[in-house]
Amino acid sequence: MGLHRFILRRVLLIIPLLLGITLISFTLTQLAPANAVTANLGEQAAADPQAVAAFRRYWGLDRPLHEQYGTYVWNLLHGDFGVSISSKRPVLQDLKQFFPATVELAVTALALSVLLAVPLGLLSAARRDTLLDQFTRVISLIGVSVPVFWLGLVAILIFYAGLGWAPPPGRLSADIVPPPFVTGFLVLDGLLAGRTDVVADALRHLVLPAIVLSSYGLGVITRMMRGSMLEVLAEDYIRTATAKGLTSRAVLMRHAARNGLIPVLTVIGLSFGGLLSGAVVTESVFAWPGLGLYAFRSATSFDSPAIMGVGIVIAMIYLLVNLCVDVLYGFADPRIRTA
Amino acid sequence: MRTGRRSLRYALVALISVTLVAGCTNSASPQSSAASTAPKVLTMGASFVIKSLDPGRTIETTSNMVNHSAYDSLVTFAGEDLKTALPSLATEWKISADSKTYTFTLRPGVKFASGNPMTADDVKWSFERVQNLKSNPAFLLNSVASIEVPDPQHIVLNLKESHTDLLAILSSASVGILDATLLKQNGGDASANAKDLDKAETYLNAHSAGTGPYMLQTYTPEQEVVLVRNPNYWGKAGKSDRVVIRNITESATQKLQIEAGSLDIAITLGPDQINALKGSAGVTTKASPSATTFYVLINNNPAVGAAFSNPKVQQAVRYALDYDGILALVGLGAVRLAGVIPTLFPGSVDSSQAPKMDREKAKALLKEANLGEVKGTISYSSDPTSQGVQVSVLVQKIQSDLAAVGMTIALNGTTRTTALQEYRDGKNQIGVWSWAADWPDASNFLVFAPGRTVGKRAGWLEDASPQAKDIADTARKAESETDAAKRIALYQQFEQKLRDFGPFVPMFQPAVPYAFRSNVKGVTFNSVWGVDIYAVSKE
Repeated sequence: MGLHRFILRRVLLIIPLLLGITLISFTLTQLAPANAVTANLGEQAAADPQAVAAFRRYWGLDRPLHEQYGTYVWNLLHGDFGVSISSKRPVLQDLKQFFPATVELAVTALALSVLLAVPLGLLSAARRDTLLDQFTRVISLIGVSVPVFWLGLVAILIFYAGLGWAPPPGRLSADIVPPPFVTGFLVLDGLLAGRTDVVADALRHLVLPAIVLSSYGLGVITRMMRGSMLEVLAEDYIRTATAKGLTSRAVLMRHAARNGLIPVLTVIGLSFGGLLSGAVVTESVFAWPGLGLYAFRSATSFDSPAIMGVGIVIAMIYLLVNLCVDVLYGFADPRIRTA
Repeated sequence: MRTGRRSLRYALVALISVTLVAGCTNSASPQSSAASTAPKVLTMGASFVIKSLDPGRTIETTSNMVNHSAYDSLVTFAGEDLKTALPSLATEWKISADSKTYTFTLRPGVKFASGNPMTADDVKWSFERVQNLKSNPAFLLNSVASIEVPDPQHIVLNLKESHTDLLAILSSASVGILDATLLKQNGGDASANAKDLDKAETYLNAHSAGTGPYMLQTYTPEQEVVLVRNPNYWGKAGKSDRVVIRNITESATQKLQIEAGSLDIAITLGPDQINALKGSAGVTTKASPSATTFYVLINNNPAVGAAFSNPKVQQAVRYALDYDGILALVGLGAVRLAGVIPTLFPGSVDSSQAPKMDREKAKALLKEANLGEVKGTISYSSDPTSQGVQVSVLVQKIQSDLAAVGMTIALNGTTRTTALQEYRDGKNQIGVWSWAADWPDASNFLVFAPGRTVGKRAGWLEDASPQAKDIADTARKAESETDAAKRIALYQQFEQKLRDFGPFVPMFQPAVPYAFRSNVKGVTFNSVWGVDIYAVSKE
């Protein structure tokens, strides 16, 4: 099967999956033992039938459930994600605001963990049982087992409150006026507006949360890389390559690393999804106004258009990342491409 | 392996240098940003509760604080005092002998931030919009039958019945005065169909349209609110050029930021943070009494309350609780309440008159009730803190107090919305809740009367018993009494009756803990609109 057909099939699969996601989140919202009226009306208004009726009518909650869902899907097919009950803005506009903040954080964290974990895992396997190996194993164990929430608070305590190296939580300092909204990525928007103060400040704010968020990925990827490399290094063809007189560098980089990387790709793909959800906790500790905070608020205010919007975005990311991983397999191992 | 090792070493060196470069950018920029700032920026941290910044649609804590500085109301209160109404946009007022007609004289020469003059037509439009939007604050003006504008400097409110609390209600930011001319151009509508026709909320979430000392510059949901000085303000100009209110949901993060000085005021702190901050250099901690009543609700409806619907069991709960222990638990500044009205308001009864723990009496009452083993479940919201009170810890204390007199109690903590739904639906067998004043007057707390909002949630209706009927009658008399002294006496009777009988066990009013840098002056916390930003200055 050609690569194109493979990709096409995977992309087409996205449509039923998205419908499934909206249906499940809509149903769950209805099944929960509370509703949008309780979540959004104050004590006095909730006790006033007129106010409740006005609220239900305004948000279309007085219509039959199948009609509510049908309207939602119909609008969605036309690119309209609906209006959020809690922010009263179009969900798409909300997502445009919150999503870049999370992506900025998650991508930086992923880059950090991959850049550190792959060489560390490689090195640790090549120098098995040395001091460096032991050190790497301890680091990765810490990365996997320490809760991000705790690590975040400790990091703030040491690097911000103690040493004063890191800026306070948030995306930008209070005395810096944000650049006009273009992409939502502050670093990019700062560059577009020619504001070096914004770029520098946004980068400074990004460092600590990204390092904290990368800890889990760092742990998992290092362990995976090390394990996979150890397996590969024990293979016959490695011995053959060494026997042929290739330098150890060539054996490690050209023969072993490429094969060792395949299972690691899957882990990297999955951990990106994990990063998006791990970001919820990190965002709360670092006062980072991202998708995590938005998802939490939407869920607690029974804001079904927003909940479905977040679900769609996260599902899309998972699907796309997995698609990328599958395609990358082919590059790492040509046998998979032809199979 | 020699060459392999070397290349890896290169890779590591490269990585380390990248990190170092990042580190350098890190330490270089604070100076550059500090050097370029001359304007006075006040930075506040709060865990946001903002559903909207449209005054006609919101009555939550954070939005009230923001709107209080962007919108003036007809009257106001100073600092933490909730007893004396002071002039704001109204310079004087006349209340008819029957408390059914309120006539206000407006402050002359006031302009909105837009430059439009403020007149009685704006006041009428703003009030009618609140009434007709039928949104969260609509109940504030339920008592108003009609609004007249005899001339641009006067406004007359005609009430359906006698109400003496209207002045206090009119201090709320939700009934702040809006720039009608500007809002009509931006989708505003105050007609009878405003709930369908008004489209001004989007505009009001991005711009303010009031006469207050500050105006909204930006509002980024879940992130921050930025206020700047209103150049057209009628009074002395606000002392900050820019006020940045950041959403920091984590109290521990707020604590660290106030310590390090990147926040000037932190207003969502728990008891742990306040204790840790005491003695921190450069930080002042304070707790201000909150006009909120924490109470135990017991269901009077036998179908829900089971054994607890028995008045003797309800009395047993009243005498089983260790109130001193509870006060010690909920933090400094909390005050024991005898009845349901916080001590901040005239009409409340002094703490010394509150029931005291008497476990023997409680056991005797249970024996008299003769119901065998009394079992029940306490429902509550498991959110971390409410006004600095850790409810999940409080309910454990109540559980052990009730166990001490022989009751077996299970705990049922759920997320706020789920818990709130059960409570509003009257399905709590026992509940631990709080009721906060929406305006500064004892009348807020008449909701506890049989058949009213909270009374119904306890399954307590007027016809439940002769005592219930009597309490409901007292509430009605207190509400419509126009003579100040008689009114206070009636509220006190209401308090005493609820103290001695019924399915509510009032416990305490909390004190909201907050902290600010010692170079920040004028910080007070009023439980209706939080910090009065206008009064704050930074040296």
